[in-house]
Amino acid sequence: MNNSVLSIRNLSVSYITAGDPVYAVQDVSFDIQQGEIFGLVGESGSGKSTMVQAILRTLPPPAVITGGKVIIDNKDILSISNTEVLQYRWKEISIVMQSALNALNPVLTIREQIKDVLEIHSDLTGKDVDNRIHELLSLIDIDVSRLDSYPHQLSGGMRQRVVIAIALALMPPLIIMDEPTTALDVIVEREILAKIIELRKELGFTILFITHDLNLLLEFADRLAIMRNGKLIELGQAQKIRAGGEHSYTKKLIGALPSASGTRKKGILSKPKNRDFGSKPLLEVQNLSKSFPVSGFFRPKLIKAVKDVSFQIFPGEIVALVGESGSGKSTIAKLITLLLRPTAGNIHFKNARIRVSEARRVPLEYRRQVQMIFQDPFGSLNSVHTVYHHLARPLLRHRLIQKDVLFDHIVDLLENVDLCPGAMFAEKFPHEMSGGERQRVAIARALSLGPDLIVADEPTSMLDVSIRMEILEILAQMRIKKNLSIIFITHDLASARYLADRIIVLQHGSIVEQGLAEDLIQSPEKTYTKQLVKAASPGWLKSLSFDNNTKEKDVNNV
Amino acid sequence: MDYIHNSIFSRWITGIIQNRKAVTGVCIIFLFIFLAVFGPFITQDPTAFLSTPLSPPSWEHWLGTNGQGQDVLAQTISGARQTLLVGFTTGIMVVLIGALIGGISGYYGGRIDDILSLLINVFLVMPGLPLMVILASWLPPGPATLTGVLVLTGWAWNARVIRSQMMTFRSRDFVSAAIVSGERNIRIIVIEIMPRMLSLLASSFIGASIYAIGAQVGLEFLGLGDVSTITWGTNLYWASNDMALLTGSWWTFVPTGLSIAIVSFALTLINFGIDEVTNPRLISERVWRENIPKDKAVNGITPVVKDHE
Repeated sequence: MNNSVLSIRNLSVSYITAGDPVYAVQDVSFDIQQGEIFGLVGESGSGKSTMVQAILRTLPPPAVITGGKVIIDNKDILSISNTEVLQYRWKEISIVMQSALNALNPVLTIREQIKDVLEIHSDLTGKDVDNRIHELLSLIDIDVSRLDSYPHQLSGGMRQRVVIAIALALMPPLIIMDEPTTALDVIVEREILAKIIELRKELGFTILFITHDLNLLLEFADRLAIMRNGKLIELGQAQKIRAGGEHSYTKKLIGALPSASGTRKKGILSKPKNRDFGSKPLLEVQNLSKSFPVSGFFRPKLIKAVKDVSFQIFPGEIVALVGESGSGKSTIAKLITLLLRPTAGNIHFKNARIRVSEARRVPLEYRRQVQMIFQDPFGSLNSVHTVYHHLARPLLRHRLIQKDVLFDHIVDLLENVDLCPGAMFAEKFPHEMSGGERQRVAIARALSLGPDLIVADEPTSMLDVSIRMEILEILAQMRIKKNLSIIFITHDLASARYLADRIIVLQHGSIVEQGLAEDLIQSPEKTYTKQLVKAASPGWLKSLSFDNNTKEKDVNNV
Repeated sequence: MDYIHNSIFSRWITGIIQNRKAVTGVCIIFLFIFLAVFGPFITQDPTAFLSTPLSPPSWEHWLGTNGQGQDVLAQTISGARQTLLVGFTTGIMVVLIGALIGGISGYYGGRIDDILSLLINVFLVMPGLPLMVILASWLPPGPATLTGVLVLTGWAWNARVIRSQMMTFRSRDFVSAAIVSGERNIRIIVIEIMPRMLSLLASSFIGASIYAIGAQVGLEFLGLGDVSTITWGTNLYWASNDMALLTGSWWTFVPTGLSIAIVSFALTLINFGIDEVTNPRLISERVWRENIPKDKAVNGITPVVKDHE
């Protein structure tokens, strides 16, 4: 107790609503010891971010802290005056938020933003401020010449480094990191984490690290706490939790996602017995390219999102397109579903050629046979319509079913994706369902027309870790039952490994490498693929050296 | 149809019913519409010359008489008829045209958008007030002319707002999902997107109605309407003609002026109400403020309210 930097005792936070209050954090207690990395894990709605903001007392209305103590430096933050609260923020605790783009002010240069913090909270003036800024930049490995850049001129990783520099500006004993790397690509994420850990070694601050990704925390946290529905359900040393923990929910989280490396585990996701998909491709993409015009002030530029991509998919096969943001994978999804027209190249579907120059009207039959599942189930369902409407419309449009049996058919469709009882779900509105349930409705809608090909664009990345595998299992089973072909688009190599038969790796709009899923994971040939596999494997932190050869390139004027 | 109870619209309707501002506004508007429809059957003949001109309020004439010796109360009530009719008709037409042109422009994009945007921009940069004055003095006077002039000079701004809203919806996943399932464009616009824009359309309608009532009264006050009809605008025109201010006969213009102000106020209240009901953040912040001690509701610092202290 005597060397803890932060003690939380019976903290409770509620959101006041017109009806009953929502108890977001209930009676949570823990201590963070000097110098440790304390990990806090929870899925959406677990109250982890609410708790962190309660510590800083930055929760916006309608939140109210209803009880407990937050003790820092022998002072209870919950019983001091409002002026004192303002003083303790940033001096005693600073925070690194998830989205660096939101945390930084777009109209101020990096120099001005760091200076701002130093001038408000410290006694430094004039030359000393500049010296301190230079010191901070060298800590996070950003060149001094970048000081007069604006946030949009830096890459995502660099922006997050700047946010870390601002958090370090006053050398607070405790830094809270709220999902600091979730918005970043996996290779950049690993670099940032390595940097954070290196800095901690050098400067000796304490970290409270919040994330939904338990496996990530197991790599570097000293102690872990797991939250669910506003309560702390497990607290312990990282080794103990890695070994399985005590609570059944902890076990579920640990086993939730398979790994991208090591020997292949058996029994994850259903596979068809016959893995021969024939020699006649269902869909063939030839030399597909797509450019977007970006209006410049004097000369309009073209951004080439997809460059000369060719691949095939056979009936009943699952092909994963793997790549980081900006790899063009979502653009390919939109080209195949004809939401976008290609700049060049052809798409053959069942040997019929779809030409670039074809009339604007897409054949209705193509719309029936090629369906899409979107990333965000909150956005892909219309909030003013019921589930029934979402499933009935496509069926009526394609005249696939008589009106009098429509309702029963929809109930069947819903129960096929494990939404039982279907009749109850049919009458729900999107806002009355959880993210996982919504995504099941989206899958049911895509399946309702009996398509031959489904393009699934990151179908699980917005969902909680514990339900991702269930959603993938539905896709795996549907493929077997209906001999569906699926183009599975993801940034997550591990799920591609277990769901797909083949993997195509994309970078900057071009295909880097492709091959059978397991072969590609076990023996990648290209450097980029090797980096991806390495970054997605456990133990990456120890293998990551702090030399400069993996440093990301500066991105000027995106 | 049990599930309808949970739809976003039924939640809005219950919200509106429970919202004090909206209910007050709606009551006032209904009162005026009721008076406009049935009032003239009860009051004295507004066109008859009944008494000494410019006599102050009395038992026979509650609001006095005007320069022609006509009853001001009767004139105010029957003036509401045409004024409100023109105001609300203009409001509806402005929203319809705005939704049609702005909606199509924003949804289809590309060349269609280029052409329609040009049209919208041309109407936006045209100086509205002088154009209104010229058109109103050139065309035969009457309610149809007034409506036409007001719609012509007023639709573009709405079209612009609806176009930009449509553009953001156009890029949403639920629209892409509807396209992929083969839905027709017109159906996507009407069934999928328009309901999502309902709060915007409703407040556009109210905004356009306020504008229409104000502009119409303004034109008629300048003598650009049909001065032989009785409207709130012509009431003010005659009051000014009879030098009501100079003679100190306030009763000839105050009732009409007050009516215009109250109707605009009521419409604004409804607009606030719609805003509060369709924007959940405003509601939750109000509930929060009502439930915690006043000195603790400080911006930027989460309050601590312990139950047992």
